Amino acid sequence: MAKFHPSVDLLTEYTAGILPLAQSACISAHLNYCQQCQQQTARLQDLGAVLFDGLTPVPVGDAMLDRVLARLDEEPPLSYRRADDLSLGRLPAVLQRLMRGDFSELSWKKLTSSLAISHLKTGDPGYEFALYHIKAGGRIPEHTHRGSEMTLVLQGGFSDAEGSYHEGDFIYRDASDTHAPTALQSEDCICLAVLDAPLRFTGWKYRWMNPFLQLKAG
Amino acid sequence: MEEQDKSANSGWQAPSGRRTDEWSECLTLIAASEDRAAFTRLFRHFAPLVKAFALSGSSLSATHADELVQEVMLKVWQKARAFDPEKAAASTWVYTIARNCRTDMFRRLQKFDTPLAADDFTPDQEPSEPFAMLQSRRSRDKIHELMGTLPPDQAQILAKVYMEGKSHAEAAAELDLPLGTVKSRVRLAIQKLQIQIDR
Repeated sequence: MAKFHPSVDLLTEYTAGILPLAQSACISAHLNYCQQCQQQTARLQDLGAVLFDGLTPVPVGDAMLDRVLARLDEEPPLSYRRADDLSLGRLPAVLQRLMRGDFSELSWKKLTSSLAISHLKTGDPGYEFALYHIKAGGRIPEHTHRGSEMTLVLQGGFSDAEGSYHEGDFIYRDASDTHAPTALQSEDCICLAVLDAPLRFTGWKYRWMNPFLQLKAG
Repeated sequence: MEEQDKSANSGWQAPSGRRTDEWSECLTLIAASEDRAAFTRLFRHFAPLVKAFALSGSSLSATHADELVQEVMLKVWQKARAFDPEKAAASTWVYTIARNCRTDMFRRLQKFDTPLAADDFTPDQEPSEPFAMLQSRRSRDKIHELMGTLPPDQAQILAKVYMEGKSHAEAAAELDLPLGTVKSRVRLAIQKLQIQIDR
């Protein structure tokens, strides 16, 4: 059961359908692990529906009805039929769609001895959407964010000065936070991170890497 | 049932319980026997709401709004079999389709090249315990009942966010308010409507 959740503000924008695509995907993935947030979004959706019911209807002519009636026999586009053929176990559907395989089939780029990254393509030009693989007990060098960062733990867990996070936990950080997450000793950690600006390492040992940490959005 | 009587005076024109059941019935008929008459009834009720939704906040042109109405109503027909009257009210279901189609249309218009559609975002496990469903029905009636008691400034922001599809930041810019004010109005409204889940 997840212990760290998106704020109601984020869930509101999520249910209203106005959160950027990459961030929406991250929240949606958290819902996969979290009954509470599912219930919260269900209620926020009810709120949307009550507002929808209360709109002043704008007349739609019969010509439009006829046009739609004429199209009822069309085959639905393939994308409506969801392919649940991937046996990725408990992974959220939205990630299954982006991955087409399991973690080991992705191409990972090694950043340090204990940290590797794999970018997934969401098509959102404003955000980087990437998986981080931290070896058991491994540490991500201390860094700040130049923008916002959403993190979702998919496997294992990590801790930083503010807490300890496990599968399904969702963490939102903004530019002012500095942290150095460390994976739990017991197993490797895989998390999803959604960023709108590249990380910036603060420790002397890794600072030289900063110019190479370009945001790979899209 | 008492709750519906009260809401009749609130000025919020949501369908009464009986009418909501009528729309569920239409969807069930479409799913069972591709009933075009039922679809036509559904169309006459919902298409004008979808059009209003498409045009609110003048986010879409008239042409795109018409395109959205067609797309949404066609999807209602195609997905009717996935509708479960035990899980959701018909209008919540239609609203969700309309919202997803609009989000996808925005992304298409912005030329996003993405493998994801808004439909893919539905969580894998829907809340399925009977208790959760009962809660959800109550919550809907309650929201409807309490909506009329919201101060206008809070109701206005909710409409901007949910109907016009404005982010908190866009709503703040448009109303010339600090972002914090917009966020706190949304939060207050959510508390007043009693939809905040304790955790």
